[in-house]
Amino acid sequence: MATLVQIENLRKEFGNVRALDGVTFSVESGEWIAIMGPSGSGKTTLINILGGLDTPTSGQAVVDGTDVARLDEAGLTRFRAEKIGFVFQQFHLVQYLTALENVMLAQYFHSTTDEGEARVALERVGLADRIDHLPSELSGGEQQRVAVARALINQPKLILADEPTGNLDEANEQIVLRLFRELHTEGHTILMVTHAHSIGELADRRIDLAHGRLAHKV
Amino acid sequence: MFARIVGQSFARNPRRKMLTVAALVVGMAVATATLTIALEVGDRMAREFRSLGANLLVTPQSDTLPLEIGGVDYRPVDEGAYLQESELGKLKTIFWRHNILGFTPFLDVPTQLAGSRVTDTTLIGTWYEHDVPVPDGTTFKTGLGTTHPSWRIRGRWFRDGANEAVVGMTLAARDPEAFAIGKKIQVTHSDGVSSAASLEVTGIASTGGAEDNAILVPLSFVQAYSGHHGQFRQLYVSALTKPADALADRDPKSLTSAEYDRWFCSPYISSISYQIEQVIPGIDVRAIRRVAETEGRILSRVSTLLWIVTLAALIAAGLAVAATSAAAVLERRIEIGVMKAIGATNTAVTALFLTEHLTLALIGGAIGFLFGAGLARFLGASVFGTPASPRIILLPVVLGLAALVALIGGLIPLRRAARFDPAPILRGE
Ligand SMILES: Nc1ncnc2c1ncn2[C@@H]1O[C@H](COP(=O)(O)OP(=O)(O)OP(=O)(O)O)[C@@H](O)[C@H]1O
Ligand SMILES: [Mg+2]
Repeated sequence: MATLVQIENLRKEFGNVRALDGVTFSVESGEWIAIMGPSGSGKTTLINILGGLDTPTSGQAVVDGTDVARLDEAGLTRFRAEKIGFVFQQFHLVQYLTALENVMLAQYFHSTTDEGEARVALERVGLADRIDHLPSELSGGEQQRVAVARALINQPKLILADEPTGNLDEANEQIVLRLFRELHTEGHTILMVTHAHSIGELADRRIDLAHGRLAHKV
Repeated sequence: MFARIVGQSFARNPRRKMLTVAALVVGMAVATATLTIALEVGDRMAREFRSLGANLLVTPQSDTLPLEIGGVDYRPVDEGAYLQESELGKLKTIFWRHNILGFTPFLDVPTQLAGSRVTDTTLIGTWYEHDVPVPDGTTFKTGLGTTHPSWRIRGRWFRDGANEAVVGMTLAARDPEAFAIGKKIQVTHSDGVSSAASLEVTGIASTGGAEDNAILVPLSFVQAYSGHHGQFRQLYVSALTKPADALADRDPKSLTSAEYDRWFCSPYISSISYQIEQVIPGIDVRAIRRVAETEGRILSRVSTLLWIVTLAALIAAGLAVAATSAAAVLERRIEIGVMKAIGATNTAVTALFLTEHLTLALIGGAIGFLFGAGLARFLGASVFGTPASPRIILLPVVLGLAALVALIGGLIPLRRAARFDPAPILRGE
């Protein structure tokens, strides 16, 4: 399998805080990676750099042939639109848009909207009957599934999920995890930050961070 | 999709926009009211000045003082200087030609009447409605109707070039028989030699001046009668002028070239007089002071004040918009962060928010216009005694101003917002 993500000696400093202190690893296309580690170990920082939301202080982070460290602001924006699908712990849906419109929003910023395609994406995550609901009318699990549909809609190369089940109860966690498992089976490449070992077990591989370094590699 | 996003933001989150709309409504209401009143003041001033008629008197430079007793000029006809009628068209070629509303030449000559108890009187030759050829090839219709609108007539005015006469009220009262409308009056030259001419009385005029004691006839008649072909002695000009201010009364020679330009390009009595003297050399132009001039000065100050209030209202509204949109943007940081995380460019985010702002501006502007029109009615009623009527022409102006205020007020917070770094926002900082 081809290497999709290649990270080399990645460093990120916030003032004198070293969030990432020389991280090196690579991810094959189609892999599901769980990123684990204690709070403050640099997991979110790593995900943000890979997703082009943040830039490293030094080192390389090549995603699908693009070194994000070298992109300017406009380049990063384009990179996020085309290659990355984000899923956040707090779902982060636009509150005044319906489920369908939230998915279409990603299409709009990517290129053009296609309502039919957006509907299919929502059906795909099991929300056929919630398409015209506002986020405030959806449960946490349903909101997160809308977020997953939004992340998938532009066929990204890489899905980055930062504790996607962190705000969900047991039942909803299972639903969302089942969704990720399906995505994995379909061949999507997923990097998922999680605190729960049970979730870490589902992944192909775990990357453990501690104080911004790799602690353990399976 | 763009319209849908903006539309949903309004439909589902109207409360958030209330403050901005309120700021715009107040600002635009004040601006509408003050602009309406300012326009009303301008209109009233123009109307008042126009109805007053002539405000400039043009005479030959070397003229002797008229020796006039009871409306009869006792100067010999051949004394004094004359002006050329053929030059009058040039008045419509000066910089402020459109402000020259009208002008009327006068030529008076003593005369003796036959067949009346009144023997000595004055014939005043003038225009009631006359077509003046202008150098650019057009003609300009002018005369007493424009320059002396306060003159009243019983019957009708003489026709230009006809052997007709209008008799002054006081004179007519001295011999009602002879000066009745429809009667002929016989004039002989004061040298007693020239042949008499016969004029038909078409009306009795009340002028409130010396003309009440004279006979008004077409200018061409007096010119032929006195042998002063194509000439006249006095010209009354009615010009639309701006009330004098500090600049108006300065000597043009003492002005810097920038001041001179500003003076020349302002319709002051002084600058218009100056321009008239330039096209017709050898004349004196004097301003005829009018009672309403002081009132005009006050009104023009009121309108300056209104412009300042308008500007202040707009600035205040702009600041309020800036403050409310800064707050709104803070509230919506996460939304902005999410949009950027899923690939929105700074431009796309700015465009969305600016469109929201423009929509707010249109709503606020329209509501403000309605309130402002009401306010103007009320203010007009208390300032002028009659309510100022709403002016639809101000609606696009007010909407434009609202848009401008909303854009300028919103631009800085919005631009900053569009540049927000999404990572810290999404992390929840
Ligand atoms: N914008 C920032 N400014 C300063 N320090 C930061 C910033 N972002 C992250 N850090 C610091 O970098 C370190 C790594 O943070 P990061 O958010 O990556 O941790 P994390 O592993 O995701 O933690 P958690 O499990 O609590 O989410 C922390 O010490 C954090 O305080
Ligand atoms: Mg984190």
